[in-house]
Amino acid sequence: MNYFSEMLRLPVVDSTGEKIGVVNDLGIATGEIFPHVTSLAFQGPGKTPFMISWRKYVERFDDDGVYLKCPATDIRFSYLQPDEVLLSRDIMNKQIVDTQGLKVVRVNDIKFSSSVENQLRMLGAEVGARGLLRAIHPSLEHAVARMAKAIGKPLPEDIIAWSYMDLLERSTKQIKLSVSHKTLDELHPADIADIIEKLDPRLRSQVFAQLDTAQAAEAISEFDDEDLRSEMLEGMSDRDASSMLALMDPDDAAEIIDELGSEKAEKLLRLMGVADERAIRNLLGYEEDTAGRIMTSEFVALPATDTVADAVEAIRKLDEDFESVYYVYTLDPAGALTGVLSLRSIIVAEKTDRLRDLAYKDVVWVAPDLDQEEVAEEMAKYNLAAIPVCDETKHILGIVTVDDAMDVMTEEHAEDLQIAGVSAGENTTGESTHALMWFAQRQYWILVWAIAACAIAALVVPKADSVNAAIGVADYITSWALRSLMPVAIMPIVLLAAMRMTSFVKRSFLEQDDHEDEQHPYLAFFAKTTLIGVVLGGVVMLCGELVGGNLFAEAEPWAAKAFHNCFLAASGVIVATYATSAVYLRVLNWRDEHDLPTSGTALTFVAVVLSAVAFSVLGTLPLL
Amino acid sequence: MTKNTKRKLTVGAVLGAMGPGLLAALSGNDAGGIATYSSAGASYGYGMLWMLPVMTLLLIVVQETAARCGCVTGKGLASLIREKFGVRRSVLAMAALLVANTAVTISEFAGIASGLALFGIPASVSVPLVALLIWMLTMGGSFQRIEKVLLAVSCVFVTYVVAAFMAGPDWGEVARVTVIPEFEADPGYVSLVVATIGTTIAPWMVFLAQNNVVDKNSDEDDIVLARIDTVSGSIAADLIAWFIIITTGTVLFPAGVQIADAADAAKALEPIAGEFSTVLFAAGLVAASFLAACVLPGVTSSAICEAFGWERGADRSWDEAPLYRGIITAIIGASALMVLMPGVDLFQIMMTSQVINGVLLPVVLVFQVFIAADKHIMGEYRNGRIWTVLTWATIVLITVLTVVMFALQAMGY
Repeated sequence: MNYFSEMLRLPVVDSTGEKIGVVNDLGIATGEIFPHVTSLAFQGPGKTPFMISWRKYVERFDDDGVYLKCPATDIRFSYLQPDEVLLSRDIMNKQIVDTQGLKVVRVNDIKFSSSVENQLRMLGAEVGARGLLRAIHPSLEHAVARMAKAIGKPLPEDIIAWSYMDLLERSTKQIKLSVSHKTLDELHPADIADIIEKLDPRLRSQVFAQLDTAQAAEAISEFDDEDLRSEMLEGMSDRDASSMLALMDPDDAAEIIDELGSEKAEKLLRLMGVADERAIRNLLGYEEDTAGRIMTSEFVALPATDTVADAVEAIRKLDEDFESVYYVYTLDPAGALTGVLSLRSIIVAEKTDRLRDLAYKDVVWVAPDLDQEEVAEEMAKYNLAAIPVCDETKHILGIVTVDDAMDVMTEEHAEDLQIAGVSAGENTTGESTHALMWFAQRQYWILVWAIAACAIAALVVPKADSVNAAIGVADYITSWALRSLMPVAIMPIVLLAAMRMTSFVKRSFLEQDDHEDEQHPYLAFFAKTTLIGVVLGGVVMLCGELVGGNLFAEAEPWAAKAFHNCFLAASGVIVATYATSAVYLRVLNWRDEHDLPTSGTALTFVAVVLSAVAFSVLGTLPLL
Repeated sequence: MTKNTKRKLTVGAVLGAMGPGLLAALSGNDAGGIATYSSAGASYGYGMLWMLPVMTLLLIVVQETAARCGCVTGKGLASLIREKFGVRRSVLAMAALLVANTAVTISEFAGIASGLALFGIPASVSVPLVALLIWMLTMGGSFQRIEKVLLAVSCVFVTYVVAAFMAGPDWGEVARVTVIPEFEADPGYVSLVVATIGTTIAPWMVFLAQNNVVDKNSDEDDIVLARIDTVSGSIAADLIAWFIIITTGTVLFPAGVQIADAADAAKALEPIAGEFSTVLFAAGLVAASFLAACVLPGVTSSAICEAFGWERGADRSWDEAPLYRGIITAIIGASALMVLMPGVDLFQIMMTSQVINGVLLPVVLVFQVFIAADKHIMGEYRNGRIWTVLTWATIVLITVLTVVMFALQAMGY
């Protein structure tokens, strides 16, 4: 008797040997690590459900039934206790969170251990393939397990202990779980966010609603998906949402509020405390993706004349949810930034030392309108854990901390990768891009070529019924088919040139530091790429002459001419393609400025299709 | 943390709610649908028009139930089946779904192949290329980008409405046969009836309708809007089917054209498109089939993974969700191979798959009707008596028809 699936439907027999029903469900006490089975629910005649205490009435059980201590007439029925969970109703077949493996799984079976004859403890929930197979039929499980063993890959049981289970369903949420229970809310907010993202929308908002406000605040800023964030906020009452935002770091809160509609944002801001509201509004005043937007107003700045003891005291007095302190900044009487101290230098210094004597005077700071990517680069360059953001008079407005800088780096890196065409979706985990997919994103030009070739054939090769039957129909059509083969054969050169062009554009886009420093960035780029195009076109043309000269030296003149025309068309298309490259760069810049994600693959695809169409037309015209 | 706003029924909300259902309905007339309705019109004239009002009612019943279940529970049908009926019966339901949906996917590939054949591309070329393309679109998650384009192209079947008017049928007669049923005891007729049911109320639609409301996180307050959506969508879908049967019944039936391939079916559009009817028909057929072929493997795999608790979703990698991706790959691969088998009759495949759909539909409906009537799951929103009776009537009707169909075939008609 090891599994719940085997217990279900067992007959329940009283002490007189009379069958009084079949096992329907089992209740467990939730306060233990390996919970005892405490109640037995069975179905009597006429489908009437009964529940009795397991400890009081069950004498023993085996593969054939559950045997009671007394006759049916002496049994007193009981009710489900508040600390009891019913296995079949609440756990079997339900979705649970494995708080150790950080996964959302479905329970296929439940494993027991029977220590004493009439005692049954729940070991955990079986969530693997074996439980599934056993539920279909135990012999299927045996067969598959034996087969798996034979091929050297034994099928392990996948069991989640009770203490690492979090039940998601609302009906079971009222139950008080034991102290030792590791529930979802004890996980790191980043892990909570990961799990919530894997749930169905309804469960998502339910689970989210159960987190306390501080956890919700942290979890919500960990979501990768912006839509999910607003979805969660929509599901909360305005008051809850507003107090949650107030708990968050102001820069994270500003980012979320910025994604909301202005009406809702305004409502939430007004519900906050004055200080929080001002902090967030200040940040919102700066443009998106600048230092001002990602900075936090929570930093330690003291007059340069203060002593080390004052500084320690100031740090001690900070709130618990204050942003991590990396540095202490010193100010002159006018409030302007004069120096910076690391925590270490404060700890090792004498208590009476003045801050101005210890401070490092040559402080690196940034202006609030600086692009966030450059802020991150500054921090990387000077190895800073935080960088102050100052106005023109060197008054500190806030600091950008290293965690925000790392987010910026990841974000910008993902964008760059996407433009470079490495990853098509949001996946930046590297491994996720399948090898075949990787190949397909680069070599789809073959498909474009095939389709264009079909179009050329359809245009050039005459239909059999339109040919005068007096001349040899097959020969005539064959000669035309061979003629149309010329543009078809030459087209790959054009397509490959187009692909090279877009990768050149993408590279220029990623490498350009500042597009404002040149007077006419696009004109210069146009001139440069057109020149490349002309050279490339010229080389293609000459190569064509070389090949054509050898192939058709002694052939009929029309063949050499047709071949020549095809290469002429190819060079023309190449020059035109490269001349338009400034347009692609403009598109990339425009989309970047408007914060639209751009897929490099799509960009290349457009270029390839355009040049395929252009060449099909130009290459076919002389043949018609 | 409670919901703070109660939704109001405004004109905007109603129109907005009607959108998705209408779009789904327009694209729902996929390869199998076009084939079945065209055949119905060509072989029996207006003889099958009476089915459509009945089918519309049943479709509304089934779709409304699915949407309501989704709104109340916030779970997909597969989850509900697993949680109420356990593993064994879930296996049965999922097997039925897998077989039915693979059959439909095969018919979509047949639709693509025969549509592209009208452009002169042989199936042996088009099917592997298209299969690879569909596989990459579903795996890469970039399907959403072209979804709208495909939807737009597949809407060319709305031209059947114009074509029906231009064909100039006897509208009095059409109206009469739409409301007065006739029946023929011919195995071809019976299997066409089963196919029509199977294509109008496909098992995958039931799952998709429920998933749609679950993904939107609709709740009890949204049931009214979901109803508007399903009713308008169902009526629009069947209206187009009705016009297809009228068009083919007017143009092809008197001429005695038996539809044997897509080119025959395209002839019904000649009154409106003339010599371009083939191009129009082929473009619509390819787009609609392509759209459905991209959606179906994902819907199937998602339902199976949902029932058995495996990770799923287009944004999960092979490492995270191997079974989800594996099932999709298997369905696409198997379907492409079936269509590529030498000597298959593409049009016959499209028809047969709808029959399989019809035969397996009762399996899904039985699960649905039990869940929708369950007090614990549905609470006050459980099925009323009329709805339960209608669903059971559908189940019994299809089962009887299936038995009759096989019996007639066994008796060697």
